[in-house]
Amino acid sequence: MQTEATPAQPDVSEPDLIKRCQAGEADAFDELVTRYRTRVFAMIYNMVHNEQDAWDLAQESFIKAWKSIGRFRGRSSFYTWVYRIVMNVTIDWLRKRQVKGAGAEFDDSIQLKEIDPASKTVPKADPPPHAQMERDEIRARINKAIDQLSPEHRAVILMKEIEEMQYHEIAETLGCSIGTVMSRLFYARKKLQNLLRDVYENV
Amino acid sequence: MKTFEEKFTAWVDGQLAGKELADFEASLPDKAAADEEKRDVKKLGSFLKHELAGDRLSNADFFNHQLRERIARETADGNREGASSGWWTLPRLVWSAATALAIFLIFAITVTREQNTGDQSAYLTQILNARVDPAINPNASVTMFETQNKAVTVLWTEGLQSLPADYAAR
Repeated sequence: MQTEATPAQPDVSEPDLIKRCQAGEADAFDELVTRYRTRVFAMIYNMVHNEQDAWDLAQESFIKAWKSIGRFRGRSSFYTWVYRIVMNVTIDWLRKRQVKGAGAEFDDSIQLKEIDPASKTVPKADPPPHAQMERDEIRARINKAIDQLSPEHRAVILMKEIEEMQYHEIAETLGCSIGTVMSRLFYARKKLQNLLRDVYENV
Repeated sequence: MKTFEEKFTAWVDGQLAGKELADFEASLPDKAAADEEKRDVKKLGSFLKHELAGDRLSNADFFNHQLRERIARETADGNREGASSGWWTLPRLVWSAATALAIFLIFAITVTREQNTGDQSAYLTQILNARVDPAINPNASVTMFETQNKAVTVLWTEGLQSLPADYAAR
């Protein structure tokens, strides 16, 4: 994960900041927040598609991180650890809101015979005229498509495609196996291809 | 990797190599279609990255400010809870134990009394006028117990020196 371009204390190493946090130094935690707040917010926003909700969930995630930072042992990288908290908070919130869309079909038990991976997918929606397609419209289409994924599938595809995280990092963040990550990625991509092909082929 | 989905995803992301890669590509029914699918997945990935990666947090400094305030507030609440929890250690603990003991004793006494009352009310006892010869059995007594619904009756004899001959004969 990249950090913000202009951190307040770029010379301070992350392990030092973490040690100071574990000693109860709130200023050190403030610095860690500054480094990751934009990425955390963007990740949550891409999952919930509402700025205020994303703000609140990011706040809640950092509060939880602060409360449990004493238990951070450094077995994983700090951002993976923080992302795990972020994902737990966000996925729980999405489940409570029952924002599941059409995610039910993304069961990992779906058999190969039901989806031919080599098949050409056909967009379901009529493509709007390319000339009229503004950036907001594109974004709205993407958000609508992502809304149709289950929280877990959203998390996997966003971490892979936007954050460029490795399979094992995603698995660690979500607390599942690498195989599950790859399987979810397969179905999430298939779904988004179906829903967005007309958009990304014409942009 | 076990399932086709896992292998296909690894293949698209360039995670297969050597024999695994060769075996997978050999298993594809239509290699050209699969290659096209792979390009399509890559295009989707680039598109999502381009459209979604630019989100910025507005009012970033206020975000930190609000977070600092919440942390300070929760820390203060935690300290207050910690301070108040010390009251449990001595006086409140003693009072709680004494109250619990008193409640237990009251309960135990009440239950015992009810059981005794139940025993007495369940049976009738009467001393019968014993038809026993006082010369032969001077200390004999006969007591009858019976349940209130008279389903069971017990005669209890004590002090008999010998059974009457006619009774024994029956």
